[in-house]
Amino acid sequence: MSKERRIGVYVCYCGGNISDYVDVEAVRDALENEDGVVVAKTHMFTCSDASQQLMIDEIGEENLDGIVVASCSPKLHLHTFREMAKRAGLNEYTYSQVNIREQDSWTHRHDVEAATEKAIRLVRGGVAKTKLTAPLKNIRIETKPRVLIVGAGAAGLRASLVLADMGLTVYLLEKEDEPGGWVKKWGKMFPNNKRGDESIAKLVAKIRTSESITLYTNARLIEKSGSLGDFEVKIEVKGETIPLNVGAIIVTTGFKPYELAQDEFGHGLNGVITLPEYKEILFASGEDKLIHNGKPVKSVTFVHCVGSRQRQEDYDKPNLYCSRYCCTASIHSGLTTRGIDPSIHQYHLFRDIRSYGRYELLYEEARNGGSLFLRYDPDSPPIFEQAKNGRVRIQVKDQLTGNEELELETDLVVLATGMVPRENDELNNVLKLPIGLDGFYNEIHPKLRPVETVVDGVFIAGTSQGPKNLAESVSSALASVSKSGGLLMKGYVDLEPFVAIVDADKCTWCGKCEEICPYGAIEKITAEDGSKEIALITKAVCKGGGTCVPVCPEGAIDIEGYTNEQITSLIDAMIKEVV
Amino acid sequence: MYKIDADFVEAVSHSDEFNANACMHCGNCTASCPMGLELLPRKLFRYVVVGLEKMVVENAETIYSCLLCKMCEESCPADVHIAGNVKKLRNYINTKYYKL
Repeated sequence: MSKERRIGVYVCYCGGNISDYVDVEAVRDALENEDGVVVAKTHMFTCSDASQQLMIDEIGEENLDGIVVASCSPKLHLHTFREMAKRAGLNEYTYSQVNIREQDSWTHRHDVEAATEKAIRLVRGGVAKTKLTAPLKNIRIETKPRVLIVGAGAAGLRASLVLADMGLTVYLLEKEDEPGGWVKKWGKMFPNNKRGDESIAKLVAKIRTSESITLYTNARLIEKSGSLGDFEVKIEVKGETIPLNVGAIIVTTGFKPYELAQDEFGHGLNGVITLPEYKEILFASGEDKLIHNGKPVKSVTFVHCVGSRQRQEDYDKPNLYCSRYCCTASIHSGLTTRGIDPSIHQYHLFRDIRSYGRYELLYEEARNGGSLFLRYDPDSPPIFEQAKNGRVRIQVKDQLTGNEELELETDLVVLATGMVPRENDELNNVLKLPIGLDGFYNEIHPKLRPVETVVDGVFIAGTSQGPKNLAESVSSALASVSKSGGLLMKGYVDLEPFVAIVDADKCTWCGKCEEICPYGAIEKITAEDGSKEIALITKAVCKGGGTCVPVCPEGAIDIEGYTNEQITSLIDAMIKEVV
Repeated sequence: MYKIDADFVEAVSHSDEFNANACMHCGNCTASCPMGLELLPRKLFRYVVVGLEKMVVENAETIYSCLLCKMCEESCPADVHIAGNVKKLRNYINTKYYKL
């Protein structure tokens, strides 16, 4: 740096949180004479409005061009002090926070002397890094008011309509011939007996008349480039490629039902079917007698937890999770069955009933109505065999009767198959979405950021993200609408400027950075003077992860705000007098 | 190995006087029984609900030892009418087996 920097250092007492274990005044004294430091002060609470005002005044009076606050974790007050710097007319990225609370005073309560020395070294490092800061500007992206939704099941359909209501343009992709997903095949659904096919028909009718929504069936997403707010995508519809420009992408590709192995829970025996198949039979029988294979059904046995909550010792690749919908769907199907023919005997073989929340009332209704619930132990699961009379004979150890071995015969066995992830290899390749151990798409945070992914501008919703019932699926679809709508309605988005930059003189394009970048932010371009090929970093896609920096053999890549020079001088300052 | 008898379930468990479906197997009835009955209400009723008539009849002595004091009913969190259920079972056995 040619120009002498004027840095202000503020060390915080944190009302004793720091000063009880770190000699704050000694830290200030040590930093006062540090090269480039013009002001060094302490505050009881640096974050208080009064202290902030004193610092703002000082920044002006002393003409400071960089500040360091040694206080708590930046997770707590980074933005507080960045805003303070802005109010003082300083570039917010010339501010550095040094953590001497979580990483020092709270950790070394037994040794004040050592904690104080550590604080001095940490703050020195902060000063060294701050001396090399440059005023950085946020990266502003103008967003496009259009959304691409992949998958026209219940979640995708519902999300499309709400986005259209907000005034955004929606392109809705469906790989099948017809929209509607699984729900369109189902009749009465819990909790209010509304029919799935009718709900879907209503949504589809609205979509077809909406001017803002374009529905593409037999369509696939084949290419994606660009970034948050401004993606260039290509879709293929019946052999034709169509380019689209969208601001956000929502993935609602759904689930597929668990596929049974031969003999698993009697699969393959006559009279053993899955819950989705049973729902179709219920749907087809309307309000009349229940018929299967031309014969009236006199008894039904539901088997719960099929393909869900599998145990490591029983399967090579177990589905460890609960599929959430099957308990209630089985119970509700039982109640629907009773509505058609109350004389049908009903048995439920379960492990634990998870008809959570209000669905508990359905469970109560089923029990009081005479459905028999038998609890089996996965250590000795029920055994199924074909009886001579064509029915299915089941042997089950009922835990609630003290592991009494019981035998029952039933016309129909309904296996409540869980949800498993779809195999979307092509889509996964295009979008590079993170996939969890269970095979479903992963959100950033299951509680606080439930529909966002690490790929900015790409959201996940519905059962593509994990098992959900219809209500939960639609809720998450609407959450993705609010996240994508919020992003696009504002018209622009500001991103932090801590991204990779390439030194065009040093770069020789070996391609190593492009290979290692997990976000696909690097591409090859021809240098301005046309002499060679170099790497170009798309700032909006770069996350500043820094994986490209150490692989570059020429040392041509730096991360803004964390340059090699800054980090080296930070380390040098920290270990001064030691080596 | 016992075969579930759907007719017995129908005759007893689904009648208005018998109600044990709400039982959650907490065991409060067992803990509060002053007779320390060998067969616990929850287990007895489970036999009924599951349709194990043979087991119910085998335990007739226990069923007739009950004092109908309703201590169990007082402490039942699921409001199962335990004494009423016992009476219903006695009635069933009296009629079917003792021809009373």
